[in-house]
Amino acid sequence: MIEAEALTKRYGPLTAVDELSFQVEPGEILGFLGPNGAGKSTSLRILSGYLPPTSGRARIDGCDLQDASLEARKRIGYLPENFIAPPELRVGEYLRFRGRLKGLKSAEANRRVQEVVAALGLGNRVRQPFSALSKGYRQRVGLADALLANPPALLLDEPFGGLDPVQRQDFRDFLRELAQDGKAILFSSHVLPEVEEIADRVLIIHHGKTRADSELTRLQERALNEAPVQFRTSDVEGKLLGDLKAFLHETENLSLEQSAGTYRVLPENAARRQALFRWLATQPVEVLEFRTLTPTLDDLFRSMTEEVPA
Amino acid sequence: MRAFRALFMREVWSLCVSPFSFVLLGFWYLLNGIFFTYLLSSETIRADVDGLPQYMFGSGVLVWLLLPAFPPLLTLRLFAEEHRLGTLEPLLTAPVRDIEVVLAKYLAACVFFLAFWAGVLALFIVLASFNVALDWSLIFSGFYGSLMISLLFLATGLWASAWGGNLLFAAAGGTAINFLLLFVPVLFDQQGNPLQGLAHAMNIPDMVDRGFTVGLLDSYALAYFPLVAGLFLFLTWVRLVSRRWVP
Repeated sequence: MIEAEALTKRYGPLTAVDELSFQVEPGEILGFLGPNGAGKSTSLRILSGYLPPTSGRARIDGCDLQDASLEARKRIGYLPENFIAPPELRVGEYLRFRGRLKGLKSAEANRRVQEVVAALGLGNRVRQPFSALSKGYRQRVGLADALLANPPALLLDEPFGGLDPVQRQDFRDFLRELAQDGKAILFSSHVLPEVEEIADRVLIIHHGKTRADSELTRLQERALNEAPVQFRTSDVEGKLLGDLKAFLHETENLSLEQSAGTYRVLPENAARRQALFRWLATQPVEVLEFRTLTPTLDDLFRSMTEEVPA
Repeated sequence: MRAFRALFMREVWSLCVSPFSFVLLGFWYLLNGIFFTYLLSSETIRADVDGLPQYMFGSGVLVWLLLPAFPPLLTLRLFAEEHRLGTLEPLLTAPVRDIEVVLAKYLAACVFFLAFWAGVLALFIVLASFNVALDWSLIFSGFYGSLMISLLFLATGLWASAWGGNLLFAAAGGTAINFLLLFVPVLFDQQGNPLQGLAHAMNIPDMVDRGFTVGLLDSYALAYFPLVAGLFLFLTWVRLVSRRWVP
């Protein structure tokens, strides 16, 4: 399990991570989402033990990263953003070295290297120097490294960066398998569709603060609840407008579209949307079209992370 | 221990396959070879060949001008280069103690630097093969002294390397510290100077010229170099762990 408790990281006057709290249970994949500079990499660096938080606690499988850093790091597989290995080492040499560094015995390290290399399709690359690999294969080596000691928690910083669509799909499938094996997986991304495809839960941060921590289905419900409706009627003279204003609550935004007889309303919730639909049916106009303008999760993400003018 | 061994072996291997290490080694051998040949042709050495170790391991211009610069050039890759490449983050997030990282890198550099001095030692072996009578006790004590100074200069180089990804800073910083360690005590080790006692205790050229190169293994000098090297290794470790300290 990965636990963050009020994690805060300040660099002088800049607060990179602000009171971040969450948990990732075994078998769960948490998508860590935010625009560039939101504080994702800093958070992951804190959780990997590379950086200390200014305040707050982080625990991996119950081991506190401040008090028992070594024990906590034994339980982490970490893929940094833009992973790079020493260029002079071949892939196989590097992975064997990392296995030994993580405390595996020589024979065990060799076995694990063979397993992860096979699982990640690196079989024909083990004799190549790291510097000769493409970005996609470098990411695979990084993930292989993270998996070597079979840790219960995986921290992956932008793992899909630089991968082509086929590699992305392979990577997603592989991560799902790892979650099914009981690993707690936290991965960061600034691309929502990637997160949608794989994560059980999404944590959205912006300027270091949590904007949403929710299961994807709930976010989708939220998106639906916040969706405006647009309807087109035969009422080209606008006779409906007065009654419609009377029907709507004060908080419900109404706008007239350019096309005559077309209105756009932002109901308070799904029940009010249904009520509006029923109300329209009782009016002496013909309803030619009624549709919900459901925002995508991408729209929702954008609305959560857009800058508020000062 | 397993992690330490793996890291040590990897560092030795990396030094052994690094073209830059071999450029340094080649340059060192070349300069020492030229200096050795020059000394052999000089009147002083022709008159007394036992003075040769003193120049090669102690009083020679090569030792005092080149030795402070070579170890930092070798150690700059150990942290600064890793920092610059981005390989330090995977290393320091692995379950390995910071002190193991420092010691493994340092010992690897020491092992590789042994090859630098072994080449100089080999010059004496070649000379002996021409039936030149040499005082091997002078040669080995001089060789030992040079190793001691090198251990210290490698430690200062490692410390300079741990300050970030700037290779120039790592090399120039380490070299500057080494020159300060060498020559500042000499400047203050003068009669009447209030700091003379301290300066004399830190006067490396004096320790070498009055000890190692004349065949004396002074226990003070034997302790001084490992202790000061240990101090710089400690500072390197502090630099590394300070990253994890809560600001």
